[in-house]
Amino acid sequence: MISLVSKNRRKPYKKILSSICFALLVLLCPSLRAQTIDDGIMLADKTLCAGAIYTHDSWNQYWEGSLERVNGNIGTITTQTITMAATYGVTSWFDAIVNVPYVWTNASEGVLHGQAGFQDLTLAAKFKAISVPVGHHGALRAMAVLSGTLPMTNYTPDLQPLSLGANSKTISARTTLNYLGRRGLYINGTAAYTFRGNVTLDRPSYFTNNQLYLSNEVAMPNQFNFATSIGYRKNNLSILGDYSQQQTRGGGDIRLQDLPFVSNRTNFSKAGATLKLPIPKLKNMQYWLIYSNTFQGRNVGQSNTITTGLMYTLPFEKRAKP
Amino acid sequence: MNVKMTLKPRGLRISIPRPISIAIVFIFSLASSSCNKDIPSTEVLPAVTPANADATAGSWKMIVLTGPTQVPVPSPAPTNDPGYQSELATIKSAQANLTDAQKTAITYWSSGGVLRWNEIMRELAARSDLPPSPNPDGSYPVPNPANPFANPQFPFSNPPYAVRAYSNVAVAQYEALKVAWYYKFLYNRPSPSKVGTSIQSLMPTTGVPSYPSEDAVEAAVNTVLLTLLFPTSVDEINAKAAEQQQAALLSGRASPSDIAAGVALGNAVAAIIATRAASDGMKAAAGTPAIWQALADGATARGEIPWISQDGPPRPPQLPLFGQVKAWMLTPTDILNERPGPPPSTSSTQMKTETAEVLNTVNNLTRDQLATVYKWADGASTPTPSGHWDAIAAPYISAASYSEVRSARVYALLNMALHDAGVACWDTKYFYFNPRPSQLDPNIKTQTSLPNFPSYVSGHSDFSAAGADVLSYLFPSGATYFNAQAQEAAMSRLYGGIHYRSDITVGLVQGQRIGEYTVRFAKTDGAN
Repeated sequence: MISLVSKNRRKPYKKILSSICFALLVLLCPSLRAQTIDDGIMLADKTLCAGAIYTHDSWNQYWEGSLERVNGNIGTITTQTITMAATYGVTSWFDAIVNVPYVWTNASEGVLHGQAGFQDLTLAAKFKAISVPVGHHGALRAMAVLSGTLPMTNYTPDLQPLSLGANSKTISARTTLNYLGRRGLYINGTAAYTFRGNVTLDRPSYFTNNQLYLSNEVAMPNQFNFATSIGYRKNNLSILGDYSQQQTRGGGDIRLQDLPFVSNRTNFSKAGATLKLPIPKLKNMQYWLIYSNTFQGRNVGQSNTITTGLMYTLPFEKRAKP
Repeated sequence: MNVKMTLKPRGLRISIPRPISIAIVFIFSLASSSCNKDIPSTEVLPAVTPANADATAGSWKMIVLTGPTQVPVPSPAPTNDPGYQSELATIKSAQANLTDAQKTAITYWSSGGVLRWNEIMRELAARSDLPPSPNPDGSYPVPNPANPFANPQFPFSNPPYAVRAYSNVAVAQYEALKVAWYYKFLYNRPSPSKVGTSIQSLMPTTGVPSYPSEDAVEAAVNTVLLTLLFPTSVDEINAKAAEQQQAALLSGRASPSDIAAGVALGNAVAAIIATRAASDGMKAAAGTPAIWQALADGATARGEIPWISQDGPPRPPQLPLFGQVKAWMLTPTDILNERPGPPPSTSSTQMKTETAEVLNTVNNLTRDQLATVYKWADGASTPTPSGHWDAIAAPYISAASYSEVRSARVYALLNMALHDAGVACWDTKYFYFNPRPSQLDPNIKTQTSLPNFPSYVSGHSDFSAAGADVLSYLFPSGATYFNAQAQEAAMSRLYGGIHYRSDITVGLVQGQRIGEYTVRFAKTDGAN
């Protein structure tokens, strides 16, 4: 983890700083979707947390159905994302969240054209439903999050794995259980079910699930995911171990030597770690570094994902309060 | 926002903000409206009531057969024959107990077996349209027709394979139906629903005599040929064929003896076509490493940069001798005569200009142009370009309310022209062995998968111009649309970054010229 910090800090740093200036100007804030929607943290009343987060995701091995392989027609697929995000504590029990990601994709081998553009706008409402003090040790809280995504541009979902995304409107319902101890013990569990709207292709028929569909409309299977984190969180410092899983409730497998398809059954398990550090001398600024590895999956790449960025919070002190 | 209900039972603080419930209702209403997930896998087609029975179709010009009597069909038993009467009794009792599945099948097949079988075949072609996956050593396994279920499955239904398949099935079906029509109007046996007054007619009345059954002819032709062409789908093929025959029986359209005669006729014609196909040159079309090398050496000897495979790892060229496969309307000499002049030299200024145009185009696409690329991608897991043109023809055939034999004529003419365009195109491609834009300029990245064969001329342009030419002759009211589709298909390959402009313009001309061979046949085939 430490070596990763020094390796990855320098390059994205400039991009992120300039992005942050922009974000603050237009009152958009970057925050990583996962870290604000599925963590157990509520912002204090009338607090804004904003920033720009850079994500670098790459894989050269992938699961074609359940077959693990590499593919000389794509080499390594790299997806880079800058997410501009903002979370605002409307009240002490209600946070509003906005994420705006810009995505670049690239294949290191073969002749396929990478794609770039704005992907899906995320809007979320996070509610603190229950808060239970656990003696003098800490507090247990339950949260509910309702979120939706809306493609911001008419990007194609039909050039997987280089498409920017699935171009599907989605709605998610999430619940989160979180324990934060006074000495810094942080335990978080979260689960979500995502309804995904049909996707429209630019072609009149498509083959998936061993069937030719004579339509340009693709039914997208819904998804279930859950994640857990455990670690230390105190005084604006977080050190967490993370584990997450996604299950897609239907969809076909990628066939031998075929391209992936937008409605494929994409399942995965990821493990990783999160580090959030206060930055000395820069008041209210926090540095994020998150790493995850996809170690098991179906119809997905064996991704190594590094997320890094800066988050600015106003007022900062209240945020860490259990 | 400030509305909340707070409960404080013994230190437990529960906040249930009202907006949550509002939001939940909102979310679920949105979810239910966005989750209508039923996607049709078959075309919704109306039942066809033929405007014309085409009583003279038995005398229309044959393509492979010498004439209708080449396949004898014995005369049927008279309708007062006790055996036939007991067939009617079987139908009557079956009609009294129709299951929902049987009713659905009757509705499905009443749209016309020719249209349905083409729709089924497009699915089979798409299912088999996957290139073999490379071996660990970088070589590629070859699909083996003797062991079709092994990896890689047989066939790899690439564009040449598919167009030959569509054309063989379409021609066989057309020939067999012309023979059927000859005997139908020779023997004039009415349908069971007309003979037996207590038998319902559950499909539209066609005005066509019932013996031999056209549904059975189609089922048999398609069963024999599709099983040869797409052996891994044999179960599905047999199920569809059985369903079509049963629907003909249960609907009161055909008796068991009508069906038996149709199956025998269909099998006989399918065997004739299968024999022709077995010696049409397809078996040798993959070539050998020595032939592949000779093609590259030929281009080098002419001072040109030869095409190389840009698949990873490099893949043998796709069916390099398909240009020598037997065509339907063109002789081998015609194919050579229709071979266009050479593409711009790979060292010429024009080629530099055209390559630059591809780079500039692919890097500055509008969203509409990108949509065109995907619409016409017709790559892996699709019915291929010829299947795309069959799909374009389908609504025109359906709307025309043709008899089965005339519907079959449309697909026979269309697919013969598509096949011949494919043969001529492949002859041209491998004669010139011209590199793709992304080979001449590695900065060119494509918006669709790069086909694994030489560039000049564009297959999409060739196929589409031939298809549009034949369809414009058959459906003049659609000519503007068909030609616009052909232009769009052709240009999609420049937008996709996989063809130069000259591949497209020359391919369109060649395709249109090839299509005219079929149109000239159609003008004198006796069906007009």
